[in-house]
Amino acid sequence: MFTIRVNGIAHTVDVSEDKPLLWVLRENLKLTGSKYGCGQALCGACTVHIDGQPTRSCVMPISAVGDKQVRTIEDIGNEHIGGLVQATWQELNVPQCGYCQSGQIMAATALLKDNSSPSDQDIDKALSGNICRCGTYPRIRKAIHKIATEQL
Amino acid sequence: MSKLTKLSRRHFIRVSVMAGGGLLVACGGGSSSSKNNNTSTPPTDNGGEPTNPAEAFQVGEFMRISTDNKITILVGAAEIGQGALTAIPMIVAEELDADWSQVSSESSPVAARFNNPYFANLLQFTVASSATRGYFEGQRSVGAAVRQMLVNAAAKRWEVPASSLRTESSYVIDDIGGRRASYGELSSEAAQERVPTNPSLKNPANYRIIGSSPQRLDAADKTDGSFQYGIDVDIPNMLTAVIARPPRFNGQALNVDDNAALAVPGVRGVYTILGGVAVVADDFWAAEKGRKALQVQWNELLAGRTDSDTQRNAYNLRLNLPGLPIRIDGLVLTAQLFASETVSADYYFPFMAHAAMEPLNVVVDYDGSSAEIWTGTQSATLDKVFAGLVLGLLPDQINFHVMPSGGGFGRRGNPLADYVRDACAVAKQIRQPVKVIWTREDDMKGGYYRPAAAVRVSASIDSANNITAWTHRSVTQDVTALLYAENLLDSLADFTLPPLKELTDFETGMPYKIDNVLMDAHLTVNLNMPALWMRSVNKFSDVFAQETFIDELALKVNKNPYNFRRDLLSEKPRHRAVLDAVADAANWGFPASGRSQGIAVMGHWNSFVAQVVEVSVSANRELTVHRVVSAVDCGTAVNPDLVIAQVESAVIFALSSILFGEILLEDGVVQQSNFDDYPVLRMYQTPAIETIIVNSGNPVGGVGELGVPCVGPALANAIFGAIGERIRELPLTRSNFKIA
Repeated sequence: MFTIRVNGIAHTVDVSEDKPLLWVLRENLKLTGSKYGCGQALCGACTVHIDGQPTRSCVMPISAVGDKQVRTIEDIGNEHIGGLVQATWQELNVPQCGYCQSGQIMAATALLKDNSSPSDQDIDKALSGNICRCGTYPRIRKAIHKIATEQL
Repeated sequence: MSKLTKLSRRHFIRVSVMAGGGLLVACGGGSSSSKNNNTSTPPTDNGGEPTNPAEAFQVGEFMRISTDNKITILVGAAEIGQGALTAIPMIVAEELDADWSQVSSESSPVAARFNNPYFANLLQFTVASSATRGYFEGQRSVGAAVRQMLVNAAAKRWEVPASSLRTESSYVIDDIGGRRASYGELSSEAAQERVPTNPSLKNPANYRIIGSSPQRLDAADKTDGSFQYGIDVDIPNMLTAVIARPPRFNGQALNVDDNAALAVPGVRGVYTILGGVAVVADDFWAAEKGRKALQVQWNELLAGRTDSDTQRNAYNLRLNLPGLPIRIDGLVLTAQLFASETVSADYYFPFMAHAAMEPLNVVVDYDGSSAEIWTGTQSATLDKVFAGLVLGLLPDQINFHVMPSGGGFGRRGNPLADYVRDACAVAKQIRQPVKVIWTREDDMKGGYYRPAAAVRVSASIDSANNITAWTHRSVTQDVTALLYAENLLDSLADFTLPPLKELTDFETGMPYKIDNVLMDAHLTVNLNMPALWMRSVNKFSDVFAQETFIDELALKVNKNPYNFRRDLLSEKPRHRAVLDAVADAANWGFPASGRSQGIAVMGHWNSFVAQVVEVSVSANRELTVHRVVSAVDCGTAVNPDLVIAQVESAVIFALSSILFGEILLEDGVVQQSNFDDYPVLRMYQTPAIETIIVNSGNPVGGVGELGVPCVGPALANAIFGAIGERIRELPLTRSNFKIA
């Protein structure tokens, strides 16, 4: 039995200690916004915030979460910057298939919380762990700059 | 209550009043066996047969206008990221004169009335860049017909001639009488009107919605985690399965020791199916652990032994032999005889994986007499046929939900329905709802790759430096040959195969003014090496060869590659227009300092594209792609921003293939497994991308694949400009470039 805090709510789940946080979120808590893409922290589709830090939930065993705060795409809109990122993503039609976008938005939100005027190099560094096969990178970059220049 | 009118031989629409008011439009096509009842009125014309739930769903609506003026449009094309759920409703809404802000869309059920007219109304098949161009005219007709019925209803209500009324933003307006009524208000009355047989269509000059770029209808749900893909489907009592597959294609399980697997907490059972062993568990993690604990001996006597190096040698040998002619202009042999010089070049392209972000997955709920299936697919009609064959069910007993896909790129358009068949085989044994998930490794190693290809091109030049002859020979695995395999035809019984030439055709559209042309191909069949189309199919390899070789010829006759192409395209105005547009936008001939440019042009899918790529190469072969400029002419851009997004997407997709894309086989075993050994383009490697739409006003062309084929040759031509080295094989990592 593990009790984890997700989006401000404590959940107790009866799962094996090595079950990755991603699958606890998706299967036990029915929070399916975080996606499975590679299972090896190579693609970033599973990115969530753990105590504010973007983290690959597909390789984090539930036993390692402890009492840290987990925040997912379902709740990120309740943060000021998370909401700005979602709104700008919509405005610029960033998503195509959309499958990687939860992870992209979590990574972009973490970047902008940390750095209100990121350079292209900062964006490269923060977002290059997140793969998009539809090729939405140029619009992601544009959206991040737009938020930084117009709203932060 | 309801009426049936033929709009054409293959299309009909029927309009009726919805229960509780509103208007319901059903649109049909393709199948003479389509039932003509609908869900809102008692069935009157189904021969008194009981309507089971699946059937009721199958005969559902195409579009509904509710009394609160909301319009819902069901889309027969699969949403794979290209924006089908936005672009196709825009076409209906245009002719309907709808208030776009009140329009929403949903994926349609799998039913004949939603078949893609591009495939002769036989299939729901979202491949070959055919969604928007395939559905375009039919959607317009339905929108225009319903608009006319709304106008007629208002005319009757107000007792004025219909010709005195106009429509705007979901209202019928009587300017003389100074009154208006919403479509929602009129919908029940409109449903009583006769369906016009030849509704007049708008003059494209009056389009308000087509040609605009509203936000994608799925944008909001794709940014807050609420958008549901196949992998997110969750139904009561659902188990999760993963399948252990043989190391070599078409191997079969011989001995299975499942003791350790069954000992894993949460594992419910281990089942051998054709071509694999399924581990079924309470959740994904238990299934995956169970699979790791499984011991399987495989019978690989008849399994595939494809080896990348061996195959390459075999393909290269076949380049010396004449193939099946696919284009013959003039007399190539004679021209070669009189030429002052004939030059040629050979090219090679490896197998590549689609690697869509959402790994394959299927949910099947089978109870012995009916089934419900959920999956992201580009080939729903054939998937459903195969599901029926595996489960022993009739189409009416299967309720098939087409889920939006986390990418497809062709992999989800497998006419052999491999992943749906596997999942149905598991469900048939357990008779409990099950989600079969492919891990990334399963997806990468699971076959159905872009086939490897070898290409040889040659050109003959006369003493005046004119190109007098051109030959192009391709050797590759033919996807259609596999489709027409005898055993498959038997299993499909009388099912009519679609005209698939367009899907796999080799690039015979070499556009240059050369009098003598011979193109031929070797179509190899290898049932033990599953190959499939991948975004732009053979154009990827054929255009690479054509457009790099034409560059070589330009330099050979001392001409600028842009001017050389331009001169040879004097009879191809649309090619020329995009070529000129891209040269202008990219400032051709004047790259930034230290950089080099390359250019390429092509036409296919009723569309045209030219691209300029700007690169630099350092002394230690570090390659940087700085900028890609594209000019596209897709006839009529229904949603220009979606067109631009597709081109951006295609450029990045192409760069992944060109720079890194390679699936290697050693003695039948795929060597790649995940994004570490099969890298794809990342943010820091992405160039500046600019796209210009050249509006020619021609009929709608395809754009999903359009931006892919020219990137490779333009990039290779730019590399030649930088370091004087010709690229004759992909990916570029094979030529020891480091990708910056």
